[in-house]
Amino acid sequence: MALNLQYEAIGKGFVQQYYAMFDDPSQRQNLVNMYNVELSFMTFEGTQLQGAPKIMEKLNSLTFQKINRIITAVDSQPMFDGGVLINVLGRLQADEDPPHAYSQVFVLKPLGNSFFVQHDIFRLGIHDTA
Amino acid sequence: MEYDYLIKFLALGDSGVGKTSFLYQYTDGLFNSRFISTVGIDFREKRLIYQSKGRNYRVHLQLWDTAGQERFRSLTTAFYRDAMGFLLLFDLTNERSFLEIRNWIEQLRVHAYCDTPDIVLCGNKADLEERRVVSEWRAREFAELNRLPYLETSAATGQNVSRAIETLLEKVMFRMETAVDMAMQPHRRGNPNEPSNIDLYAKQSAQQCLC
Repeated sequence: MALNLQYEAIGKGFVQQYYAMFDDPSQRQNLVNMYNVELSFMTFEGTQLQGAPKIMEKLNSLTFQKINRIITAVDSQPMFDGGVLINVLGRLQADEDPPHAYSQVFVLKPLGNSFFVQHDIFRLGIHDTA
Repeated sequence: MEYDYLIKFLALGDSGVGKTSFLYQYTDGLFNSRFISTVGIDFREKRLIYQSKGRNYRVHLQLWDTAGQERFRSLTTAFYRDAMGFLLLFDLTNERSFLEIRNWIEQLRVHAYCDTPDIVLCGNKADLEERRVVSEWRAREFAELNRLPYLETSAATGQNVSRAIETLLEKVMFRMETAVDMAMQPHRRGNPNEPSNIDLYAKQSAQQCLC
């Protein structure tokens, strides 16, 4: 499959759509449509998960209600299978917690005329090792 | 940077109880309600002198708090590793944060260096008396039941902040001095090649036999 030259727009559009759902507790459930039942991997703060059900279980277990987010940068690349690799750098604040930097990497895999999230790696920028 | 003991404390408790402000008040003598964490420093440090049996020991205290990452992942043994004492905070104006103390103690018993770690319980925000919902006798009763020292503290005014940390330090130092079973020593677990531990070993064995 050829490189998708729209990678920049796809990356930015996806990130906007994904976080709009993630950050709204009433819409977070709909993220299930972003992942494949079996073929999606997530590494969330070091926890490895596979498949949409497990991934949603993790996302639903998060205890904060509101989340404030500022996206610093979205860097995207086209992949040779027609997919898009996306790296997000941003800051988030869960409820009244101190704000934290975070990074999140997505791989969008083409499926028909659309994509699903094949890989998703999330980390807070906390340096709690000495 | 010479010292006799490197001691790591962890501040635990629900989000918003004032852990960061508490530590900031202790190390810097300031109250800052809008704390901004600095790159590379996610813990605070303070040096002090501990007196025991007529001797002075130079103690280098490392004070860690959770910064809210427990919202994203459960805190595991790796996080508690090497912590020798625990400041357990709740907010006197928040009932839920007090009820959650029971869970925090459970977490500690599972993940800390032993199942009876040194803990000091702090009812924080004591300055907000008009908003208090957890009475002092209720907190004291709970503390006695769990055999924990209890102090009512305020990170805003500094009330009992130093005392809480000194109380914890005394408990930890007492344990170190009286430890019969070397396996009880937190720094005996974990990775012995960690640089901070090597230093601790060397100085301790030179200064004092723990056998």
